[in-house]
Amino acid sequence: MAATRVMASAGNAVSTPQSLNLCFKNGRLLTQKKRLFFVNNNSSKKLMLSVVHSFPCAHRSCRFTTTVRAESTNGSEPSANYDFDLFTIGAGSGGVRASRFAANFGAKVAVCELPFATVSSDSAGGVGGTCVLRGCVPKKLLVYASKFSHEFEESGGFGWSYDAEPKHDWSTLIANKNAELQRLVGIYKNILKNSGAMLLEGRGKIVDPHTVDINGKLYSAKNILIAVGGRPFIPDIPGSEYAIDSDAALDLPSKPKKIAIVGGGYIAVEFAGIFNGLKSGVHVFIRQKKLLRGFDEEVRDFLGEQMSLRGINIHSEETPQAIVKSSDGLLSLKTNKGTVDGFTHVMFATGRKPNTKNLGLEAVGVNLSINGAIEVDEFSRTSVPSIWAVGDVTDRINLTPVALMEGGALAKTLFANEPTKPDHSAVPCAVFSQPPIGQVGLTEDQAVKEYGDIDVYTSNFRPLKATLSGLPDRVFMKLIVCAKTNKVIGLHMCGEESAEIVQGFAIAVKAGLTKADFDATIGIHPTAAEEFVTMRTPTRKIRSAPSEGKSDSDAKAAAGV
Amino acid sequence: MARKMLIDGELEKTNDAESHYDFDLFVIGAGSGGVRASRFSAQNGAKVAICELPFHPISSEVIGGVGGTHEEPGLDWCVIRGCVPKKILVYGASFGPELEDARNYGWDVNAKIDFNWKKLLQKKTDEINRLNGIYKRLLSGAGVKLFEGEGRVIGPNEVEVIQLDGTKISYSAKHILIATGSRAQRLPIPGQELGITSDEALSLEELPKHAVILGGGYIAVEFASIWRGMGTKVDLFYRKDLPLRGFDDEMREVVAKNLEGRGIKLHPGANLKELSKTEGGVKVLSDHGEEIVADVVLFATGRAPNSKRLNMEAVGVELDKAGAIKVNQYSQTNVPSIWAIGDVTNRMNLTPVALMEGTCFAVRYPEILALTSMFVSVVMSDYNTVFGGKPMAPDYSNIACAVFCIPPLSVVGLSEQEAVEKAKGDVLIFTSTFNPMKNTISGRQEKTMMKLVVDAETDKVLGASMCGPDAAEIMQGIAIALKCGATKAQFDSTVGIHPSAAEEFVTMRSVTRRVSAGTAKPRTNL
Repeated sequence: MAATRVMASAGNAVSTPQSLNLCFKNGRLLTQKKRLFFVNNNSSKKLMLSVVHSFPCAHRSCRFTTTVRAESTNGSEPSANYDFDLFTIGAGSGGVRASRFAANFGAKVAVCELPFATVSSDSAGGVGGTCVLRGCVPKKLLVYASKFSHEFEESGGFGWSYDAEPKHDWSTLIANKNAELQRLVGIYKNILKNSGAMLLEGRGKIVDPHTVDINGKLYSAKNILIAVGGRPFIPDIPGSEYAIDSDAALDLPSKPKKIAIVGGGYIAVEFAGIFNGLKSGVHVFIRQKKLLRGFDEEVRDFLGEQMSLRGINIHSEETPQAIVKSSDGLLSLKTNKGTVDGFTHVMFATGRKPNTKNLGLEAVGVNLSINGAIEVDEFSRTSVPSIWAVGDVTDRINLTPVALMEGGALAKTLFANEPTKPDHSAVPCAVFSQPPIGQVGLTEDQAVKEYGDIDVYTSNFRPLKATLSGLPDRVFMKLIVCAKTNKVIGLHMCGEESAEIVQGFAIAVKAGLTKADFDATIGIHPTAAEEFVTMRTPTRKIRSAPSEGKSDSDAKAAAGV
Repeated sequence: MARKMLIDGELEKTNDAESHYDFDLFVIGAGSGGVRASRFSAQNGAKVAICELPFHPISSEVIGGVGGTHEEPGLDWCVIRGCVPKKILVYGASFGPELEDARNYGWDVNAKIDFNWKKLLQKKTDEINRLNGIYKRLLSGAGVKLFEGEGRVIGPNEVEVIQLDGTKISYSAKHILIATGSRAQRLPIPGQELGITSDEALSLEELPKHAVILGGGYIAVEFASIWRGMGTKVDLFYRKDLPLRGFDDEMREVVAKNLEGRGIKLHPGANLKELSKTEGGVKVLSDHGEEIVADVVLFATGRAPNSKRLNMEAVGVELDKAGAIKVNQYSQTNVPSIWAIGDVTNRMNLTPVALMEGTCFAVRYPEILALTSMFVSVVMSDYNTVFGGKPMAPDYSNIACAVFCIPPLSVVGLSEQEAVEKAKGDVLIFTSTFNPMKNTISGRQEKTMMKLVVDAETDKVLGASMCGPDAAEIMQGIAIALKCGATKAQFDSTVGIHPSAAEEFVTMRSVTRRVSAGTAKPRTNL
């Protein structure tokens, strides 16, 4: 996620950092050369998109000029030659958004999706996609369920007591969760239907730049959108057949007694919190020293401490080598450091891969990156002019709201005569670990690389609730400010309600507001969030070149205010 | 402006020579504003004293009785009898509904559950003692001299502290800052002494089984939520059609609906006529003829500035009709050496506002010391260069606030009604009413509502409001955006955090309604 948003600083760049990012991706700097000047010549009402690169394009100076011209190509006009103006493969967040908006703009749209199953595969998926069926929504519901145990503990400090410790029934939760998912799938289908898009069930495969095959039936389309998302990936080690992925973990028939979670990314920490809250024994195995690579280092440290305090065992720098099933049916995880026994479940949260296999992409000439993601330009166009891609399958920033943004932008580009680039800067995100994380903008390391001189404000405090509950819960907050411009370039929080809190601040960061703007805002008392507008003294000032001993007096002046 | 300052500055030089005062600044009242102002002034080099009555978590009537000298004991209303204990009780009360919500998530919480009010009260008192200690240490750490006793003003530069044993000591000070806050008011009806105010409500011996609350303000709805969450039967009486006058009408409706949905009996358009003692408790008679016997009757009928015992009239400091100390935009009274901040000035009675007023007072302390002038404001331009551009006068625009009813309400900027009244052109209203994700499984029938009020011409977001879980936390960041004049387009260009409630604020695509200025009949006075 955040890790992929490494901003490049290019001397003479005309483009946004994102376009450069795209340009540098996987070190294939010049791959977009092929796409210089092309004209979609399949229609007289055509969209002309010309991408001009001034080469040479080296790391130091990259000229990247993009012009997009739409010539009376309102896709709403019927295109006689094709069955559809837009054919979308995949009815997840990005696909549904693009299809609906396109249909609203008057385009004739079809969407295909695999039949529903809670665990995805080459032949199963479902309308709603990862977010609704195997991601954000079910995950958050399980997070809600698992948080209650912490609240029971907290409530003791507020005068509440229980004759018997509340017990959790997994099957009630899963049944209620699945009922809710079914309801949402129905809503999604209705939304599509009401927009006028046609929903087809089956696996879509691209036959040529304008033809999609579903169950042997061919459909022609002026534009094809690939929005097939990604799927969990389990590395091939001995015994990996015993492992489950996040799809399965969201729909287990029974609750794990003791679970090993392999991986240190957001999915791993979220499930660690879920199962820990539901009173499973939880062991997390990570290759690195810390959880959540790509996040701010201090946040990583803080979350690790908080998770440990809540009873999660974190095994750092421990790489799994094999899973062994013993005669009693329990699983052992063998790592480079030893073996841990007695697991009822071993879950791999070892990354996700774009679903680009067997789509016919290679045959029509759609360029893929090394990891199988579809390469697209700033307008989400692939190397084949009539084929577009949005969402996780492009592996840009793999978040639902980003897929929505990309899908919405594409519909505008194609059918509203309004070429629109999705803007990938300052995208906020959350990790629903317990406690959760919210962040927007740069990490401290990224900020130093990009801006050199920065001021860092941190606050690590015991929230009011914890002083009464007696639990060791804390909150960590951090602001990263560009020393030269006073702009807030990064904001991080780990603690209760971080995700909710950070959203509003994301508007401020996105709008380029300064630390002075934050300070001029009055706090809402008593909240945790008010801390972000009452940070008076920098915790540290980072300067690339030694300044003339100024920082001390600066700090004092700030403290006096 | 700068020129004028110079003239004043010259004038003041004569005064400056005679610095024979005991203190540069004497602060009466160690609440949020007073502590902030004294600490920061001391850090700016002033010799500062502050006086406050000794700390008791329970209010003056209980400990001091009639004729007692304790007008407002303790170090900080916010900490001792306001925001903090209130929030602690709100936390305590929230667990009740949480237990209900847990069931459909698979938790078996049907076994006997007990709520022990005394335990919560004890923990609350412990915490407040702890915070009180922290405050004292903050003061002494800043070099502020703390006197225990009641302070009153006996001259433009003289303060008298009446100590606990009754002895009086007077101190001279170049400047006096009044920060004595406010106190809860009862309704003058027969039997009023049988009712309590929020001070006592925060420290009741027993959790009431049945409470009657009179008032429609934030304190009333907060206590209604607190007691209801703990299992108390609650009747809430207020004179208007809806609670929370002054807030956005639509949000008021949502709050009323939620209070009712959580089991609070609402009595809109009603007032209390008389209280009398009966065997079962206090008998309440409403002006609609209703009779209720409750064990606690809470008057949440407003607060009045604590200005009575300060001797203000004698030194010529002007008060308004409500008894609030009149100040100019720089918190200066009509007596140049006497200043006032916080609730006693009845501007915007919120802790962070008192802090802001205290800060604004203190950061200009060097100039105040140098000038002792009625026109210190003119130092502004110089000041800006020294302190990096912060304005000296407190800025009351776009101050967010929260009402901690359950679920909470939080707002910043203008309500729809205010916007329509003030707008020159059309106003766009964006609303979103939705079932929070948590409720999809818990089955709780309670919607969250959000609203953005946008100037149609400039696209500026003029107001934001939300009623729903975490509203207060969510609104803080939005408040920065509003403070800086963010446009709806800037809201829209921000990517959502999924899945959250807050993301709704950046994904409101279609206008709910467009209101033309002047044409609308704002639904005020409900």
